[in-house]
Amino acid sequence: MSTASKPVMRTDANMADPDGFYEAWIAAHEGLSDEESNDLDARLVLLLANQIGDPEVLRACIAEARAGRAPAR
Amino acid sequence: MRAVVLDEDDTVGVKGASSRGICYAQKSLEIFERLGIYERIRAKGITWSVGRTFSGAEEVYTFNLQDDSASEQPPFVNLQQFYLEWFLVDRIMELDCTDLRWKSRVTKVDNDADAVVVEVETPAGRYALEAEWFIDATGANSRIREAMGLEVNPSRSTDRWCITDVRFTKPFPTQRWTWVDAPFNEGRAVWQHLMADDVWRLDYQMAEDCDPEAISKPEVAGERLRAQLGPDVDFEFVWIGPYQYRDHLLETFRVGRTLFIGDSAHVVSPFGARGGNNGIQDAANLGWKLALVLAGEAGDELLDSYHAERHPAAVENLTVCRRTARFLAPRSRAEHRIRRAVCTLAKRHEFARKLANTGRMAQANAYPPSRWAKDGARSVQNVAEGGTTLMRSLAGGTRFLGLAIGADAASLARLDELAALFPIDFRGIDASGPLARHLGAAAGTVVVVRPDAYVAATLVEATPEAVAAAMRDAVGADERARLAAVA
Repeated sequence: MSTASKPVMRTDANMADPDGFYEAWIAAHEGLSDEESNDLDARLVLLLANQIGDPEVLRACIAEARAGRAPAR
Repeated sequence: MRAVVLDEDDTVGVKGASSRGICYAQKSLEIFERLGIYERIRAKGITWSVGRTFSGAEEVYTFNLQDDSASEQPPFVNLQQFYLEWFLVDRIMELDCTDLRWKSRVTKVDNDADAVVVEVETPAGRYALEAEWFIDATGANSRIREAMGLEVNPSRSTDRWCITDVRFTKPFPTQRWTWVDAPFNEGRAVWQHLMADDVWRLDYQMAEDCDPEAISKPEVAGERLRAQLGPDVDFEFVWIGPYQYRDHLLETFRVGRTLFIGDSAHVVSPFGARGGNNGIQDAANLGWKLALVLAGEAGDELLDSYHAERHPAAVENLTVCRRTARFLAPRSRAEHRIRRAVCTLAKRHEFARKLANTGRMAQANAYPPSRWAKDGARSVQNVAEGGTTLMRSLAGGTRFLGLAIGADAASLARLDELAALFPIDFRGIDASGPLARHLGAAAGTVVVVRPDAYVAATLVEATPEAVAAAMRDAVGADERARLAAVA
């Protein structure tokens, strides 16, 4: 792998069907308690992380998710 | 190498009534093979290679360490530590070159530039002992280390466990079984291991706020046992002991003429058997270096390589063990949720099994590149070939081994001339044999193996000059080689 193609987190639009993804994601949470919803999201993160695989991309995504948390109210 | 060993006790541990190390990893077993006590350990201990991990009532993952083994020794043998110490003491007596002194406590150490002077207290009185080199192997609470003002930055876990060493009649497979969250232990972790004399090591994770005295009462421990094994099982306790693990790391493993090994230098949580096994590897790493320095075949800066190699290994072990400890003792609802997600998915998907962590078993750590090993150094397993094994070829303990892959008699004879200049002997090996395959080395290559069975260099252009250069690197500035170069 050349240094030029060093993998980084993608932030350009890469989803073929963003509205469809959003719909499917919230549909998966329907009828669940907060606890069950949180568990589902945790499993989802793991499944998606395994699609990505690359540790640098994963670390960058974790850092960005942490940086983007809502300000404390 | 002549040595004096001082032990403040007069025994290797009361039989059965102590609970220390139990799992000896392949690299340790290979070292014991070289020392001549492996057969006793194998005969007395429990050989195993399969580990199974459960979450709730379901299996999460299984590993078989035998799959990656090319060694004559198995991945693991379980044995109570006092047996191991006993066999080592017997061997020390048999070899008759070490002066073993019981009931001898070190009370003072003067770590001078020319020698180390230690004050020794015995029932018969005190005396001073002068040594060229001094090794502190007095363990986690080393007073020697403290007296020298050396900081180890200890960190104590809030996680609590209770060891129960017990004999019972129910037959279980001789495998390492672990539960992340056992239904029979209020959803906390449990370890199950067999040791010698039909004694099982059952280790139960306890609530953090438990009363250690209450949970280790025989009747309470008995209830836990019946919850696991069934109400009717007959059992006999050998040892019950609550504990909290801790870890620490000494910043430098060499201070002048004093060297720190084992728990005195580094302590990790027990997960993965990385404590005792790394103490053994410390000794194997240091032993040959000390012998070469004492014999004048290497300068004393070679002892710096002990720190340069074993300190990074300790850092790696600390990282690995802390990750396991964190998996086993989640600190928040979020951590519990993440672990739950791992265990749930692991029951169905291979990828998630890699995330379930009840201990990454001790391995021979690779060493980073250094002036003594330009490409770093990695361990070689004890492969059998040509009616001998690697460890038998290294049995002397102070000479390197040059493995000349597919070498003819003439090139081997040229290499053999180096044996007079450096502590190395040569052996031709079959280019298509198991050792060459394990080393991943092609015909024409010379692999320089150190006395601790680590590769010092892999020389594709295997001229005697290249081997000599590699040996000069590996032992540091060698007096005899310098003299030879001048002559």
